[in-house]
Amino acid sequence: MNRTSKPDAVDVCIIGAGASGATAAMVLAQAGFRVVALERGPWWTSDRFSPDELANVHRFNLWPDPLLNPRTFRAAADEETQVQLFCPVPQMVGGGTAHWTGWLPRMTEDEFRPLSIYGQVEGANLADWPISYQDLEPFYDKVEWAFGVSGQGGVNRFEGPRSRDYPCPPLPPTRYSQKFSEGCAALGYNAFPTPSAALSQPYNGWPTTNQSAFAQQHGDPTGTRGSALTRFIPAAVATGRCDLRPECYVHELTLDAQGRVKSAVYQNTDGHTVEQEADIFILAGGAIESARLLLMSRSARFPRGLANGNDQVGRNATFHEYSAAIGVFDDPVYGWAGGGYASASTFEFLAHSPDRPFVGGCHVAAAGVGIPLPISFALPGLPTWGQAAKDADREFFNHAMAVGLVLHDLPRATNRVELDDEVTNAWGLPVARITHTPHPNDLAQGRWIIDRNAEILEAAGARRTWKVYIEKVTGNCSHQHGALRMGHDADSSVLNADCRAHDVENLYAVDGGPFPTSTGVNPTLTIMANAWRVAEGIAARRGAAM
Amino acid sequence: MNDKRAGAAGTCFDAAQRRTVEAAMARIIPSDDRAGAREAGAIDFLDRYLSGIDIVYAKPDGSGFETLVGKQANAWRQRIAAVRQTYRDGIVALNRLSRDLEGGEFADLDEAAQDRVLAALERPVRDEERERESAAAAAGFAPPEPALQQIAAEMDLDFLPLLVLHTRQGFLCDPVYGGNRGRAGWEAIGFPGPETMAEAHGGRYSTLPYFAITDEDIAQGNGS
Repeated sequence: MNRTSKPDAVDVCIIGAGASGATAAMVLAQAGFRVVALERGPWWTSDRFSPDELANVHRFNLWPDPLLNPRTFRAAADEETQVQLFCPVPQMVGGGTAHWTGWLPRMTEDEFRPLSIYGQVEGANLADWPISYQDLEPFYDKVEWAFGVSGQGGVNRFEGPRSRDYPCPPLPPTRYSQKFSEGCAALGYNAFPTPSAALSQPYNGWPTTNQSAFAQQHGDPTGTRGSALTRFIPAAVATGRCDLRPECYVHELTLDAQGRVKSAVYQNTDGHTVEQEADIFILAGGAIESARLLLMSRSARFPRGLANGNDQVGRNATFHEYSAAIGVFDDPVYGWAGGGYASASTFEFLAHSPDRPFVGGCHVAAAGVGIPLPISFALPGLPTWGQAAKDADREFFNHAMAVGLVLHDLPRATNRVELDDEVTNAWGLPVARITHTPHPNDLAQGRWIIDRNAEILEAAGARRTWKVYIEKVTGNCSHQHGALRMGHDADSSVLNADCRAHDVENLYAVDGGPFPTSTGVNPTLTIMANAWRVAEGIAARRGAAM
Repeated sequence: MNDKRAGAAGTCFDAAQRRTVEAAMARIIPSDDRAGAREAGAIDFLDRYLSGIDIVYAKPDGSGFETLVGKQANAWRQRIAAVRQTYRDGIVALNRLSRDLEGGEFADLDEAAQDRVLAALERPVRDEERERESAAAAAGFAPPEPALQQIAAEMDLDFLPLLVLHTRQGFLCDPVYGGNRGRAGWEAIGFPGPETMAEAHGGRYSTLPYFAITDEDIAQGNGS
């Protein structure tokens, strides 16, 4: 094939330069380590991002192109497998944060202990986290202050203790967030401004956000909505110790005679194969891709894939699912203002309650409808063409909003990431195959909460509502958790509490893979906080001068 | 639809095909007291898009279009070719149905007849949906509803849903792509989009006037 080159060995090799990889790269480079970060996708500067609904939402400008990087899906092992863009995340420097809205709620204290609080649920594989809110709180704080998160501490009565308030005040209210707050007030629900990566005031040299309509699923050309690309990557590179290599597709981790990871083997932009050696390897490609890389890395010692001696790699994968109740109002709510996600939230349905017909619960917040932009705007069940469709657009485009949820789906051992037997990507590598059937609790939770969401809209004066119940998990949140579960028990998890592989002494994972459960909140703040924690742990154990 | 000639000329459809598609687009988003697909130039948007792989991604400030290379270019060549095939076959099927049901080529029918043909074209899809819904209802589940966050991939769509999607795109996209002419689509639904893509790219486009705050708040620069 192609010639193989071997650049100098470094201290740390990170695979993936999205939210978690960028965090770990910054922390470790600042601690004095020589870091190589290998990113499969391109490294764009902010001015490459466009306010362009057609390109970004419809044409895979940022989403992975399914012709190049497909995935496959089946509901159960005995069902037909279909090619599907399941749970996509942009594959580029910055990862999901390159195009996100940037909602940054913290997990509550209880969400770290779901097994203790709910008890085991039949057909699920619940586990407590091996770390606590208190372990993570200092790192939540670090990420919030690195980003300049706009929010208001002390208002969400379900939130755990904070070491200090948010660095920036909340974003100004939108008409849809105001409707939501009014509905919650009428029903006696606690509500709070959704913490946001968009800046409500100048911060660390970045100006206040201009509040473009092109936010959700669009990259930010202005740098006023924080991302790993604009906040952590520059800090990592500025140390002079972080070599970030874009368009380098890692397809194997090799082992040495002692069973430690020896190298990451990748194909670079020119199609050449390169072997990068390092003392420590950190997986940061997102739960699906990190699991896939381990499964592709087979050896005599690990015939079922690296760190997979116990057949746990890929299992207990969780993905959330977005759905909503939708309401239309007589007065305009301009669901696209601020991109549709300058919002207000409630945790009333996140905290577990034995009085409800399900365990767990999740974050609920106001939003525009779907992608609340002109081409993508649609309401359920209405005609898609003809005069009636045009009339509906004219009547509802400025008058519709959603109260949405991110489903807290339960982990199941059979919901998993594997390698597809047949389908390969444009690099000739087997793609990830997802097997997923929602737990009955997931459907019951979605249904009950969406009923409450509709009540919030009605209490706010909506003249008509729709309830879009969840039937299956499609990965439409782009949230990936599990598949590399962390836990104290080496038989039932992949990583220990330091997010180091039980079986491989110099292998870590810092993306959503380690999450034992999906939690009820948007995961990226927790992913970055945990990556910071893990990276500091590595630095402390190895010492700064390797 | 001759691919070689189309590529060279920067167009995709021959005159008859273009007339058929434009007529269908005009029923998908009709003209009334505000612009429809015809006035917004949706057909020009589509014809340019399918002419090759030169009009896939606008440059971020709208100053032109990106040149695709390597694997990405290959993927787009494959996608455009597949979509063109859907149109080639779909136009033939649409005219066949028009002749069977209404006795003439689609573009020659009056609007009411065109609507009947499109409805007939949609019917098998609708019937399939109804079947799924009743099966789901019988099984105790909620009827299926559209996903709220994901857009169907063009290659997976049949002719009519593909044409509906492209008509909507041509009506409501950024005008740099040749549709939404004079921002007519945005005006029709009441979206105050940016004057130009460059305005939004440069951070000068703001939706703050549509927040729940006063003009004074905005003028003072303290929206919070």
